[in-house]
Amino acid sequence: MRNAIDRRLLSAWLVLCALTLLYLVIDHSTADAGETRRALITVAAVVVSLAKVRIIMREFMDVRHAARWLRGLTDGVVALVAVALIGSYAAGAAWG
Amino acid sequence: MSSAQIAVERIELPADSPARRPLAKLAWHWRNNPKRELWLAWYAIVAFYQMFFIVFFLITRAQPPGKPWWNSTQVVQWFDQMHNGLLWGFAVIFLLGGMSAFSTALIAYSMRRMSVSPAFAYSYLIMYSLAAVPGMLLLCVALTAGALRPDRDPELIHAIFDLAFVSFVGTMGVFLIGSVIWMVAILLDKNRVFPKWFAYLNLCNALTEVVIAPACIFKRGVFSWNGQISWWLDMVVFGIYTGAFIGQLRTMILREDVGTGPLPDAAPRPAADAAVPAGAAA
Amino acid sequence: MSTTFDPPAEAAAAAPVDWDRASRDNVPGQPDIWLFVLFETLVFAGYFGFYLYNRPRHPGAYLAAQQELHLPLGIVETLTLLTSSLLIARSVEAARSQQWNTALRNAYATASCGVLFLTLKVIEWISEARAGNTPISNEFFSYYYFLTGLHLLHLLIGFAFLGVLVHRLRGPAARSREVIETCGVYWHTVDYLWVLIFALLYVVR
Repeated sequence: MRNAIDRRLLSAWLVLCALTLLYLVIDHSTADAGETRRALITVAAVVVSLAKVRIIMREFMDVRHAARWLRGLTDGVVALVAVALIGSYAAGAAWG
Repeated sequence: MSSAQIAVERIELPADSPARRPLAKLAWHWRNNPKRELWLAWYAIVAFYQMFFIVFFLITRAQPPGKPWWNSTQVVQWFDQMHNGLLWGFAVIFLLGGMSAFSTALIAYSMRRMSVSPAFAYSYLIMYSLAAVPGMLLLCVALTAGALRPDRDPELIHAIFDLAFVSFVGTMGVFLIGSVIWMVAILLDKNRVFPKWFAYLNLCNALTEVVIAPACIFKRGVFSWNGQISWWLDMVVFGIYTGAFIGQLRTMILREDVGTGPLPDAAPRPAADAAVPAGAAA
Repeated sequence: MSTTFDPPAEAAAAAPVDWDRASRDNVPGQPDIWLFVLFETLVFAGYFGFYLYNRPRHPGAYLAAQQELHLPLGIVETLTLLTSSLLIARSVEAARSQQWNTALRNAYATASCGVLFLTLKVIEWISEARAGNTPISNEFFSYYYFLTGLHLLHLLIGFAFLGVLVHRLRGPAARSREVIETCGVYWHTVDYLWVLIFALLYVVR
């Protein structure tokens, strides 16, 4: 049984590394990229990073097997952070 | 059976008991309650923080802090506007500021009640007793001196202004170390005086205080002494922390058995504040 | 095969510790550490919020400054911390199956990854400072040094937790499933905070 758990941890790690390397692809943006393109990249970066955070929580921190209230709470925090970050960026872009 | 299993008992009062009358009850407690001094200290802490808030935030408007990027003219204007508030508000602090010592004393007491070395309590006591001078009083003294003679050289008034706010913000290092001391004491404690989450909250508070350090470098922006990160966010965390530690001290006093072993758990609250039926035996 | 280990002194119960997957109240580690973890996450979200709010207000300046960062280095740092998370997760898993030597080896490997990250970060700071990018150069770099500096502080505290972990894994009397998991939870927090910081400083445009 431990081997199965180890394999699952390894798969999670591989997914996280792949998502990290994905950022190299995004890096093709230059400083002259238009506002829309930059906003899209920003939102994409935030969403991908929060997806990684959730994977770390679920797989590495073992929230997957934890009590329901903890699962709900961690998901809630991830969602809240997503809204806060994207909201801040949107607010700055709108009122800056 | 370990003392951790014994809960503090609650006594139900009959409806006609004189102890149900508030003043009589207070008098009884004043004469007989073994934890009377602890409660006095605790109520003094609550009174102090309320006074602190009213004086600093409402009367003197020293918090939120004045802007670090003001020039001398603007600073003199601020002193003009706040003239009476500064003088009267800080007069109150000079009179009653000593009450801040109760919080330090009660926290040091809590560490003495723990199973850890008394060195924790003593270091905390020394540190915080010294911190109140630059941490609060220096600001009061400086701003009062600034407001006292409005016809001083503007550059001098500006220097006094800087002195006040830099000292207030710059002494965070002491509070940071103090929080860490309390945190380590709670984590090592075997008497269960405080729950472990409170130790981690101390860590959160300490880490937020680290964030104030850049205030000595930046005169504008989010890291200046009134910045969104250095002041506003920090105040939110500090407010939560202060509320938590006042609540925790109260719980500690309720549970206190003036012994040396593990602190008993708090008594469970009765299901409802039920009136005792008439005719129940005393 | 005996599977009973006495819990640390503070637990009043004399029941044998259950090292199976099902934990006492189904929370990995002390429930208390979760308060810290989630509270810190929200505080950091606050810092990130201010950064993201101020960024689009001066897009040119931020973008120009950001070009000075080296994305590949950031990626290597991220991969290092992700690996450290994998290793500590394996350590905690090994501890659950009472494979103490494996657990210890993984714990030491985690610490090595932590030291590697620390080294890379310091090298990065030095190279940025040499290129003239200091905390007072511009707004972007003040955020950069602030966020990476605060994160590094959390990492150093993480080493303290690793110390506790190793101590708990070594002495038979000190082994406590809850404390071991707690150390793991803290380290993963340091990891995922970096994941967020990396995305916001190096990738966000």
